[in-house]
Amino acid sequence: MTRDILLQIAQVLAVLLLAPLLQGIILQFEERVQRAQGPGIFQPYRDLRKLFHKQIVLPETASWLFWIAPVVAFTAMMTVPILIPVLTNFPLPLSDMGDILGGGLILTLGGFMITLAGLDSGSAYGGIGSSRAVMLAILAEPTLILVFVGITLLAKAMLPFVVNHLLVAQPAVYWSPAHLFLVAAFFVLLLVETDRLPIHSSTHVEVYMIEEGRILEYAGPLLALLRWASMMKQFILYTIFCNVLLLPWALSIEGTAIGALGAAAALMFKFTLVGCAVVVVETTQSRLRFYRYQEPLAASFLLAVLAIIGTQLS
Amino acid sequence: MLVAHLSPLAASLFSLIAIASLLLAFVMLGSRWLRHYLYAFALESWLIAALSAAVGYYGQYPELYLIAVLTAVFRGCLLPYLLLRIVRRLNVARELHVVVQASSSLVIGAFAVVFALVVATHIGDTLGLGGTVVVLALTVMLSMKLIGFLMLTVRHEAISQILGLLVLENGIFLGSQILVPGMPLLLEIVILFDLLIIVACFGLLVQYLISHVGTTSSLKLRRLVG
Repeated sequence: MTRDILLQIAQVLAVLLLAPLLQGIILQFEERVQRAQGPGIFQPYRDLRKLFHKQIVLPETASWLFWIAPVVAFTAMMTVPILIPVLTNFPLPLSDMGDILGGGLILTLGGFMITLAGLDSGSAYGGIGSSRAVMLAILAEPTLILVFVGITLLAKAMLPFVVNHLLVAQPAVYWSPAHLFLVAAFFVLLLVETDRLPIHSSTHVEVYMIEEGRILEYAGPLLALLRWASMMKQFILYTIFCNVLLLPWALSIEGTAIGALGAAAALMFKFTLVGCAVVVVETTQSRLRFYRYQEPLAASFLLAVLAIIGTQLS
Repeated sequence: MLVAHLSPLAASLFSLIAIASLLLAFVMLGSRWLRHYLYAFALESWLIAALSAAVGYYGQYPELYLIAVLTAVFRGCLLPYLLLRIVRRLNVARELHVVVQASSSLVIGAFAVVFALVVATHIGDTLGLGGTVVVLALTVMLSMKLIGFLMLTVRHEAISQILGLLVLENGIFLGSQILVPGMPLLLEIVILFDLLIIVACFGLLVQYLISHVGTTSSLKLRRLVG
């Protein structure tokens, strides 16, 4: 029991501490693909440290929402790892608090608070960023729900652990068209939700920014919290993609310390593989203009529908 | 019926090929470059050829190997090549004016697939074959037909309309391969030659349209000529 509680704390800590590393790895790979030197994979840690040492500057127009949003977003991102298999492939004491939909709800709550904060300060860029983010959410959310429905039909359960066990135990299900289409649909969602091309721009502060526009008014430690929360969101989505859908192997089965450490190492290896695919997309794709945002998401919607059709076979 | 007693591996292979060709139909529906349609169509035909060969292998129909080769040669190489020649002559690289945006047509197509699934499930249940690869084959066949109709409706360029027709035909062929393998060889050959004649006539029609009307888009054809 004590061991399980420790493991659960370790899951949250793994997400907290390894999330900047994932961001660093992806950014560094991108730089290398573009034949640049790159700042190294530990740059996000240095950025966060720098931001935490700055003083807090608040806009005069900001209300209490402006304060509370980073804290809520950060807390939400620390809550989700309790629910999903990060290090162990068996449920831990608090894992049955919520299913996949519950995790999605908490993830969206963080995004919602940041949207409110973007509107709160009354700056033009914050408003534009929030409106774009909401439009993207409107486009992405139906697909996300459909992917969840597909997973539910595939595994006859909404718990990520059940899906993980099923995919490990039955290669026929793993290679079935339903599962492969779910993976493809989720990959598009992964690109959209983690601020990557073809929708989000790769340079940060510019006229077309979406995520960056919402948090443009923040500075210092609050900005650091928001950055960290967005890195953790990326880490969590990668975890769901790898440990639940794409690569459900190499998790700690018995829950020993060595196993958890090995699972963490394997996790970073899997993420590096997925990160390479993301880097390929970011290098080969150009940014879509605003009125074509729905195209990748419509394709993802379609893949999810095809996956649901596929589940009707067995 | 062959499909009612398939091994799980064969069933999953068939379903993978069927769904992949449905996906390629969606690629044709969602892209706006004529050249991409052609590539997707050629690939789809190759997949159907592979499906024919697989059905021939698992169901012991030797003549299906011949049909597979014919499909690959005619649908996979010759038809796309002829169409590619027409596209080169036309100087039209893409659909310029779309009625329905690519993403909206994808979503409409997704609803068509859901509709096809409902119909196929009903048919499968009536035949007592619910939950087998039959339902999937019926779904893919019906939805490829609906997508072909959709392409005929929402596209204006003559070349995308003929491709819509070919997708429709591919859907029927794919369904027949899974549902009634062992159709007489003669019928298949007749269908293939029919297609060839369609494409040849279409080439003539395009020549006529260019010389007399000056366009191949049906948007410009507004005047009735008696």
